[in-house]
Amino acid sequence: MTTTRHAPPLVAIFLLSASALAYEVLLVRLFSIIHWHHFAFMVISLALLGYGVSGSLIMLFRSFCLRHFTGVFFLNILLYGISSVGVFVIIQRLPFNALEILWDSSQWLRLLLTYLFLSLPFLFVANTIALTMLRFDLQIARIYSADLIGAGAGAIGIMLLLTVFEPPTVLRLLAFAGLLAGVFVLRQTGRQLAAALALALVASGILLLPGSWLELRLSDYKGLVQTLRIDGARLVESHSGPVSRIDVVENRLVPFRNAPGLSLQSPEGPSDQLAVFSDGDAMTTIDRHSAQSSPGYMAYMSSALPFLLGRQFERVLVLNAGTGADILQAAAFDSRHIDAVEPDSQLTRLVSETFSGYSGWQQLRGRVELHNTTARAWAATADQPYDLVVIGVPGASSGGAAGVYAFSANFDLTVEALKSYLALLAPGGYLSITLWTDTPPKGNLRLFSAMVEALRESGVASPENRLAWIRSWNTATLMVKHGELNSEETTAIRRFSESRNFDLAWLPGISEDEVNRYQLLPRPFFYTAAKAVLSGQGKDYMESYQYDIEPVRDVNPYFDDHFRWNSLSTFLALPGRSGIAMIGAGYPTLVATLLQAVVAALLLILAPLFFLRRKLRSDGHLRFRVFTYFTAIGLAFLFIELSFIEMLTLVIGQPLYAVAVTLSVFLVFSGLGSLTVHWFVESKGLDPGVLLRWSVLSILLVTLVYLFSHAWLIEHLMALPTALRILMAILLSIPIAFVMGMPFPVGLTSTSRNAPELLPWAWGINGCASVLSAILAVLLGMEIGFTGVMLCAVMLYLLAWRTLPRKTLI
Amino acid sequence: MKKSTLFLILIFCSAPVATGFAQGGDVSDPWSDERAGMIAGIEKDVRDTAELINRGSFDRRVMDAMATVPRHEFVPESQRSKAYENRPLPIGRGQTISQPYIVALMTDLLQPQPGQRVLEIGTGSGYQAAVLSRLVSQVYSMEIIAELASESRQRLQRLGYENISIRAADGYNGWPEEAPFDSIIVTAAISHIPPPLVRQLKPGGRMVIPVGTRFQTQYLTIVEKDPDGRVTTRQLIPVIFVPFTGGHQ
Repeated sequence: MTTTRHAPPLVAIFLLSASALAYEVLLVRLFSIIHWHHFAFMVISLALLGYGVSGSLIMLFRSFCLRHFTGVFFLNILLYGISSVGVFVIIQRLPFNALEILWDSSQWLRLLLTYLFLSLPFLFVANTIALTMLRFDLQIARIYSADLIGAGAGAIGIMLLLTVFEPPTVLRLLAFAGLLAGVFVLRQTGRQLAAALALALVASGILLLPGSWLELRLSDYKGLVQTLRIDGARLVESHSGPVSRIDVVENRLVPFRNAPGLSLQSPEGPSDQLAVFSDGDAMTTIDRHSAQSSPGYMAYMSSALPFLLGRQFERVLVLNAGTGADILQAAAFDSRHIDAVEPDSQLTRLVSETFSGYSGWQQLRGRVELHNTTARAWAATADQPYDLVVIGVPGASSGGAAGVYAFSANFDLTVEALKSYLALLAPGGYLSITLWTDTPPKGNLRLFSAMVEALRESGVASPENRLAWIRSWNTATLMVKHGELNSEETTAIRRFSESRNFDLAWLPGISEDEVNRYQLLPRPFFYTAAKAVLSGQGKDYMESYQYDIEPVRDVNPYFDDHFRWNSLSTFLALPGRSGIAMIGAGYPTLVATLLQAVVAALLLILAPLFFLRRKLRSDGHLRFRVFTYFTAIGLAFLFIELSFIEMLTLVIGQPLYAVAVTLSVFLVFSGLGSLTVHWFVESKGLDPGVLLRWSVLSILLVTLVYLFSHAWLIEHLMALPTALRILMAILLSIPIAFVMGMPFPVGLTSTSRNAPELLPWAWGINGCASVLSAILAVLLGMEIGFTGVMLCAVMLYLLAWRTLPRKTLI
Repeated sequence: MKKSTLFLILIFCSAPVATGFAQGGDVSDPWSDERAGMIAGIEKDVRDTAELINRGSFDRRVMDAMATVPRHEFVPESQRSKAYENRPLPIGRGQTISQPYIVALMTDLLQPQPGQRVLEIGTGSGYQAAVLSRLVSQVYSMEIIAELASESRQRLQRLGYENISIRAADGYNGWPEEAPFDSIIVTAAISHIPPPLVRQLKPGGRMVIPVGTRFQTQYLTIVEKDPDGRVTTRQLIPVIFVPFTGGHQ
């Protein structure tokens, strides 16, 4: 089999990259549904090391691959098509239980098998790209640009596909997209008929695969599966979107009764509800509501506090309305007009369309307006003040989560967010936020300290006179008034708490003997924290607390991350290591993911060097430069890209659009940047070192401009209409994305000129570094914020500038 | 095959069986050693968590009950070899049998006394009910999954537990015909403590509720109703043990 020297299969590369990136996103979706999101993150991170394996493999079989380029290229396409669907079928049949991993050593073997299988499709795609770069070494920048632009198209494409089709159908479509790449290299194979037949055979196999083989088999321990086992349970709606899969279950025999924080003194519980599961877990409910019924139990929840102060509210804002429990509560207390804000339109549609008869939407819609946007975006654009702003408890209970959301960014409870909510209040209005409690308390203490900081930054001199804080056995409600709470209000709050056996945690004029009376904690954590924060001792208190409860800001919006390295030794020193429970699952999962990736990456990088140590002509100095350069730019690219995604999530409003837009803009414009390298270096004969210097300086400049202006930028952008915000986000990303597309092809071109035998190794190193970078960026973001992560990226680019793989110094 | 060869093979094959019986000690209960090991593991865990759970040991009666209930009868055949390890085990249909230490802790927190009547919400395999039945006069256990309720009823009958009544029903409304109860244990996931259960608790009674996923952290909440009917809750610090810490098998 032969091929033309000057015609790299760019269309095939484009299709394969698009398919592989879409496949990666799809796997995160599939594993989030089957297992849990944090586990999905852990598995997919390692699977991407398939890119690293590819570098090593090609380095080992370099001459064979070059001799049989088209054959090997075509074979990898076929293998990608088969494996993308095949490994999913196999993995679903592995009896793996993620929850049992700490208990059962055999689960580790199953996890390892999961990693190995999942890395295969990425390995095959990476092989095609690395091979092409090796074969067409004068056109590396063009090939890389096809790879990036393809991936950019994949980022947008997968969102569209997941909006229209169910995940198993998308899985088949992505395999077809990969196989389509084979059509574009058919002519070069030399055995056109045989190759076409092979393609047709694999495609038919995927098409004819029984639907039941691809049906999602959710873990037996997910709430949806458990609920459907109960007599009378019936799945009445199931819909998959790009963000989540939503399942609705009805049970007329055994009603669902979801009432977070309901008082033990409540004479009744909820009567009839539909259960709504997101990704098979995180249950929320829709109450049956009619003109005749009144959800009396809602007066016995801690979140009812503002409604029982003797006021009828004219204008209420419910943020993160979900499936409508807080809307119903506001309506039950005769609020006149309710604006309900919820970013997930799948949830609002359930209440207002699919189950509108059940939810009593006909009765509610006269006074409720739904808005599909985020709390922050609404707060930035709302033009009329509210008498009450409510944020209710998130879905699912606190106990099971145990910190697994630690590495999910949450812009709704940062100091900046709280300030924007406070600014919405009319004089005398209230802001009320209810959260689940945990033991020892963490999130609620952070919310309180953030609220006090937000009040102080908003110019309030005595926040202690505006705050009321109560708690039930598993929820706590923090209420803030625009103005000072008067004696009628404090009396009403005391009466409300007393009658429902809720505990007071803070109230103007509170005394220590009023706290920790009904829901007994080992110590009065809430009151002690409140007193310390309000008396100016907050810093000392927070520093001495065993968890990180300091307020979070937009630059490090990890509200649920409470891990503190200082406390680790204390927890681990507890007898029998019983303190493991105190650490929480989130941070350790992330660290474990990083460690496993480091070990695997080092093996992949070092193994080829070991095996080929006699064949390598390049000297140690050059190998060091290749290693440093590609590690640095691999880490730096994702540091900046992920920081942009997090920050633009806030600007764009919808997390889904933010990821899709930022990812595709970064990839496509980096691809165009890479094309420019081809033009400058290959056509104009410019020295790669010069180009690198200019691109690094540009990255430095753009990053610094962004770092110093981001707070100002975000504040002004948030006030724009959605379409303009998205447009501005794109425009902001373009310059930096463009210049960030240059260092990689510059490095490869330089490596190819100085040590061509190291080219696949460089590709592998970059793949490994990218995987590590995704995990490191989150860990660093938690510690030093996104601005810190971006500064690290700049330092890494500067390091890359000094270590461009060449025999003479720049 | 020669008869002598066949004889030798038979001798060879039967040797391990004979040896096993000879070494087992208690011929009537081949699991007794393992059960003793489980008890030793629980006792060590109690000492290790003394600060967190405010007690240095469990009631002797509770430990005796744990030492007599044949846990291996409550797990599927495939899990029998692990039945007495101090860890939760999957028992099929997404259900688990709790870690023995947690079972002992919850039982101890209930402060069971002879003559008492206890309500359990969430029968599962029936193991917790079996332990309680050795300590109180009557256990009422409710299971929402009918199949599980039926299997547990048959299992407990087969094993001779006569003071356990099982009902396949929603536990939210409790068991009003048999109320009030001296204590209640809730092992089902709940967003709130059901008001009917609070009402069915005797003054001076207590309710224990574990919260959290079964293989991970368990937060234990204790609900107490004082003689005047005043209800309070108390939360214990979360507890978990993992096998690789050593000494818990």
